[in-house]
Amino acid sequence: MTSTATQLEAAHAGSADLVDKGLVKWHLVMAMFFMLTAMTWGLLISLQFLHAYPFEGISFLSYGRVRLLHTNEIAYGFLVNGFIGCLYYAIPRMTGRAVASSKLGWLILFVWQFILVAMSVGQLLGFAQAVEWGETPTGFRPGTFDLNYIPVDFLIEIGAVLVAIQFLTPIVRSVHKRQYVSLWYLTAGIVWLILTYVMGNTLPEWTLPGSSGAATVGLFIHDLVGLFVTPMGWGLMYFFVPVILRRPVWSHALSVIGFWALAFFYPLNGVHHFLLSSIPMSVQYGAVISTMAVEIVVTTVIVNFFGTMWGSGDALRTNLPIRWFYTGMVGYFITCLQCMFHTTLTMQELIHFTDWVPGHAHLVMLGVFSFWIFGMTTWLWPRLTGNEWYSRRLNHWHYWLSVIGLLTMFVDLLAGGLVHGFMLNALSDWMEIVRAMHGFWAVRTFAGAMILAGQLCFAWNLWKTWTGPKRPYDYRVDLATAGGV
Amino acid sequence: MDRFTSILLAAGLGCFALAFVLSGVYPWLITDAREPEATIAEVARRVTPEFKQLKEAYPVAFAAAFPGADECLTDKDLAGVPLDDPRRARSEDAWRAAHTIALRDGRDAYVAEACWHCHSQYVRPVANEAQRFGRVRSAADDNNALQRPVLWGTRRVGPDLTHEGGRRSNDWHVAHLRDPASTSPGSIMPRYTWYFRDGWQVWRTIDPELAEREGLAPTTRYPIPGVYATEAEARSALERVRAETPENLHAERDRLEVAPSSGPNETALALLAYLQWLGTWDASQREGVPQ
Ligand code: HEC
Ligand code: HEM
Repeated sequence: MTSTATQLEAAHAGSADLVDKGLVKWHLVMAMFFMLTAMTWGLLISLQFLHAYPFEGISFLSYGRVRLLHTNEIAYGFLVNGFIGCLYYAIPRMTGRAVASSKLGWLILFVWQFILVAMSVGQLLGFAQAVEWGETPTGFRPGTFDLNYIPVDFLIEIGAVLVAIQFLTPIVRSVHKRQYVSLWYLTAGIVWLILTYVMGNTLPEWTLPGSSGAATVGLFIHDLVGLFVTPMGWGLMYFFVPVILRRPVWSHALSVIGFWALAFFYPLNGVHHFLLSSIPMSVQYGAVISTMAVEIVVTTVIVNFFGTMWGSGDALRTNLPIRWFYTGMVGYFITCLQCMFHTTLTMQELIHFTDWVPGHAHLVMLGVFSFWIFGMTTWLWPRLTGNEWYSRRLNHWHYWLSVIGLLTMFVDLLAGGLVHGFMLNALSDWMEIVRAMHGFWAVRTFAGAMILAGQLCFAWNLWKTWTGPKRPYDYRVDLATAGGV
Repeated sequence: MDRFTSILLAAGLGCFALAFVLSGVYPWLITDAREPEATIAEVARRVTPEFKQLKEAYPVAFAAAFPGADECLTDKDLAGVPLDDPRRARSEDAWRAAHTIALRDGRDAYVAEACWHCHSQYVRPVANEAQRFGRVRSAADDNNALQRPVLWGTRRVGPDLTHEGGRRSNDWHVAHLRDPASTSPGSIMPRYTWYFRDGWQVWRTIDPELAEREGLAPTTRYPIPGVYATEAEARSALERVRAETPENLHAERDRLEVAPSSGPNETALALLAYLQWLGTWDASQREGVPQ
């Protein structure tokens, strides 16, 4: 134990000056800020379904516009900030090189927050575009070149290129001859973000009409999740899990298979967002089959991670970050298993337009990728501030409120989705459907309040740890208890 | 470095491009590439009767919303105008121009309010959808500039709107947009009150005794189309109505009054025009295609 600890200490000291802790910290702070705002929007819009929306009649705070903020601030405010923060920590450590430039880092930080403000204001003012998860204002009247707002899409593309310069530089100049699989995911994910964003925010707007435009919109939604969020998430898991558990990944062969299968199959799934539509059936069947193939890929990755943990299962109990990570992995497995079933045309017929889909979306976005970011933040925060946690107990509250809230919401929306689907099939009167869904929507709001309460615990804890009285953090204490509960 | 390049090229670019060709370019080649996309002007050629009625009902907002509105003549204006009078042709063109602007702005409002997050425009050949909503959507239906980006939606909190055009009256939509629960008790659709402008309107009250004698509907007070910004404007409209009312309707004439009211604003007219257009156009109406 002592020798490992000493080695780790040496490693920490060695690469400490490579990491710009300020950048990590500020990106994580902004991530948590947008998590709180986005969740507040989520809770608000869920009240619309209960006849209790407080801002009805105010155009720029109305349901439709606030709903856009909910999903877009999660994607671009929380997930992107959170991942970038973690990349600032992980990439220098894996490559032995600092990022391209700290100045560029602060520029990216500010530009990105400006983009988020411009995006949110634009959506509240009604300049959104009709691409799901890409409602970021193009700044142009749909399909024309009449500028009517700040061209946010274009700024995001510039931001993504700056991010690529920042992080690909150390990867190219890495001191290690062979690259660890984590860097494969991160390299590809950074490139994919640029390509996906440009594709999804230009083609369906200006060139591709109707159903072929829809096919690209589907591709965009899926690529954003599958080719940006997913590789960032897994890339960071391949870094953090072995570092925290202090053991190598179980099988490098499996991790290589997992990577290439993701790269190959994931983007082919795009059209599964518009099944039973006027997109040619051959393309739809292709998407269904590759969606099922993804489940096999996912299984290899999950097996690999559980293999890595084999023998240190106790960490789940004693080590909170690890618990976050593995909870997320189970969530990921369930999401993909669910996907395998509901991508079939039989299930599509029933669930496509119902609450089942938001149920699925919340499991994957909150229950997987957000949980991972929570885990990484939990692990990093004392190391970044140099301060012992204000309260480790609050971190447990954060975990349990989030997990129980999410599970409640997931099961509730799935059940509600089925009811909605069967009633649609049965040609029930529309208002009868709305009334039938009322209870499910009430439970969703309750579960949402629980999740938000969890985040408030966490935010308070982060704040007090950061600004509270100095209680120097000693990572050896965590090592002695096998982690950072 | 060699690893880096291979990942960049094979995974970063290769896999992405393959997927783009298979699920973006290929469907385009076998569907929409075969026929040029219809422009907004093209899909606006057939002016819906509901759009014409909007001008009658809300003349002031209509004139403010659509340049050239004064050339748009309603059936009432055209009564007695000879068939070969150039005003008819000019009116037809003006209607089409106004309808084009209305559809474009209406679609923009539909996108800005994210109506498409609660309503689909996507009737599938399953789940009894054709029975509930109407004909299944085809690729040709979407090959037009109003569906760029496509407004299929992914969620049905409210019903599908593919075939909404002509299904309800303008009045129903106006009341519904302002307060959905007024037409659909218990509705959870938001109230779009900012699409309405307060103003003054002329109201006609029918003498209850007269109404009973003539067997008229129980509602005896109803608005005369036209919402005006000031009370004075409404008063002069009242005088016009009074002058137009035939002598023998004397009993009613006395009961004209000006009272506060509210009517749809310009954006709302465009949105209503868009809703009333939905499903009234299909590819068979294109020029050169046999009807
Ligand atoms: C919160 C989700 C929601 C939003 C946002 C929403 N609607 Fe609705 N809409 C509903 C529900 C629920 C119904 C069914 C009950 C009713 O008739 O009000 C409905 C019904 C309708 C109908 C009547 C359909 C019919 O013929 O029965 C129309 C038209 C309509 N909405 C248009 C719109 C427009 C236009 C917008 C955007 C400005 C919009 N809706 C935004 C939920 C929504
Ligand atoms: C306070 C907790 C939350 C509540 C109450 C909430 C509520 C909602 C509501 C009401 C919708 C609209 C669903 C519909 O259209 O019918 C929605 C959509 C969505 N939310 Fe949340 N949300 C919460 C947290 C989150 C979090 C943390 C994430 C991601 C990390 C998230 C991601 C999404 C996504 C991706 C959608 C779009 C789903 C779709 O279109 O199918 N939400 N949420």
